[in-house]
Amino acid sequence: MIEWTGLSPDEARQFLANKDKSKRDKRMSLKEAVQKFVKDGDNVGIAGFVNARQPVAIVHEIIRQGRKDLTLSFQSAGLAPEYLAGAMALDESKNSIKRMEFAYFAHEAFGISPLLRYLAENNKVELEDWSNYNMSARFKAASIGLPFIPCRSPLGSDMLQTNRAKVIECPFTGRPIMLLPASHPNVALVHVQEADIYGNCRIQGPLFTCPEIAMASAHTIVTCDRLIEHDDMTRYPNRVSIPFFSVDAVIEVPYGAYPGNSNGLYYFDEKHTAEFRGACEKLRKGDPAPLQDYYDTYIFGVENTTEFINKLPLSQIQYIQKIEPGIRLDAGYTVLG
Amino acid sequence: MANYSEDFTPQEMIVVAGSRTLIDNKVVFAGTGLPMVAITLAQLTHGPGIVPVFEAGAVGPELSRGLPLSVGGSRTTYKANYLLGLNSAFELTQRGFCDFGFIGGAEIDPYGNLNSTMMGKFPENYQKPKTRLPGSGGASDMACSCERTIIIMVHEPRRFAEKINYITSPGYLDGSPNARWRAGLVGQGPYRVITTKALMGFDDETKRMKLIATMPGETVNSVQEATGFKLIIPDDVYEFEPPTVEEVRLIREVIDPQGYFVRKKIKE
Repeated sequence: MIEWTGLSPDEARQFLANKDKSKRDKRMSLKEAVQKFVKDGDNVGIAGFVNARQPVAIVHEIIRQGRKDLTLSFQSAGLAPEYLAGAMALDESKNSIKRMEFAYFAHEAFGISPLLRYLAENNKVELEDWSNYNMSARFKAASIGLPFIPCRSPLGSDMLQTNRAKVIECPFTGRPIMLLPASHPNVALVHVQEADIYGNCRIQGPLFTCPEIAMASAHTIVTCDRLIEHDDMTRYPNRVSIPFFSVDAVIEVPYGAYPGNSNGLYYFDEKHTAEFRGACEKLRKGDPAPLQDYYDTYIFGVENTTEFINKLPLSQIQYIQKIEPGIRLDAGYTVLG
Repeated sequence: MANYSEDFTPQEMIVVAGSRTLIDNKVVFAGTGLPMVAITLAQLTHGPGIVPVFEAGAVGPELSRGLPLSVGGSRTTYKANYLLGLNSAFELTQRGFCDFGFIGGAEIDPYGNLNSTMMGKFPENYQKPKTRLPGSGGASDMACSCERTIIIMVHEPRRFAEKINYITSPGYLDGSPNARWRAGLVGQGPYRVITTKALMGFDDETKRMKLIATMPGETVNSVQEATGFKLIIPDDVYEFEPPTVEEVRLIREVIDPQGYFVRKKIKE
């Protein structure tokens, strides 16, 4: 028997069976959503992929409220864990990560993660290494109600010594096969382009593993770049990627994934990402002042994402909208007024 | 007679070698960085039918909206032929739909095993490594389950080690007969290793790395000196054809004009 770091499959089943599945208005403030659904010690599922559609607005609110001893579960992520790690590095008594179950923590073209190095090399978090497919498959197992899922990779790697996968002889072929334990986070943090007030979500571009994470978690907080009419959502039912009953809170947060990419709406802000990452790197090298200044300005010094965005040059925001190459979905939606 | 360029950087040489290694109409699962540049170059030259796959979900897009900064970025999705998410992308590799995986790493051993997880003693210092690297991402899944793997690496002795700190992405494991099959892997393993100094492959029998060609300006000796283990040196090692003027132009003017990946200084 392994130790389940979020909900065990049986606990998750029980929880979801008892969940209120009514189609009700789930709008609330981000402050209220984080207060209600993110607790100290939780296993937090981080949706998005590297710096695309990262739940940055939700993470900033978690940092403002302070949460301790979190377990972070994700495949590949950059901005969300970096912001949480930065908050921990600045004041461990208020924000802290206890454990990470993940495949990759860095920023691709923008560079490696200074704070993964800081946390790991100072032995400040428990690490459990998986591959991207492993984490995706673990969320998938949970989302289809199974305690484990077989997977062929990465057999033969050293990851098998660092994680809780088991290798068995396949009962049908006789060859070795890996079994991955399901991952049921206590709460999933998801940013999408469009949602309705009940929590139905429409994702533009790659889905990453957002639907599986939402379905696997006990609670799901969704921020969306725009809230749209329910009738517009259900006009294209096969484009609903996350169904309303797996969502607990819906918050319209334009630029909720900024400075990351939200397909069809805004591209990466390379300038701001470099500014943030640069401050993280300085902390790793022993100077916390620039990062403290960054947090005081953009996270603690503001109430919400609108105020954060208002601190940035308008031309910078216009530019990332202008260069976004995604093809906008012509779904004839009405933005909810 | 090809019109060879006399002005190219080592990074451009790697990209050109990567591009020329790719075969038209094959499905290529692409890691982030130089592989994306090489695939785009191949699409613009000899391989218009190459089908790129990005682990975040995009299958068979056109990479004509600018070089993606991320395998999950919106520039990977333009005119994609299939677009779901990570599970569906990786399921393609496991099922046998991906001919090549195109990846890199921080360290490699003679059997093509790659490390992108940590430097330091393993397993003792896993929770407090000397240097923590980003982790596997999807590279390990590509190395395990794509039919063949093409590896792009910086060539220096400490990165080419007889024994690496941690095996993140399996190659031929310990090199023993059928090691991959016995471990439960599908896919045949590493095909080529492309560096600033050489093009390499693997010996059919011993599965150890062997030199195929030296890059312009390099010799068999200079390649061996930059390698921390003994390479197999066959009699028919040749000098790799330099980049053409057109290949260099495409890289600089069309594919990566901002120099996100190609201008990046490689530490030698």
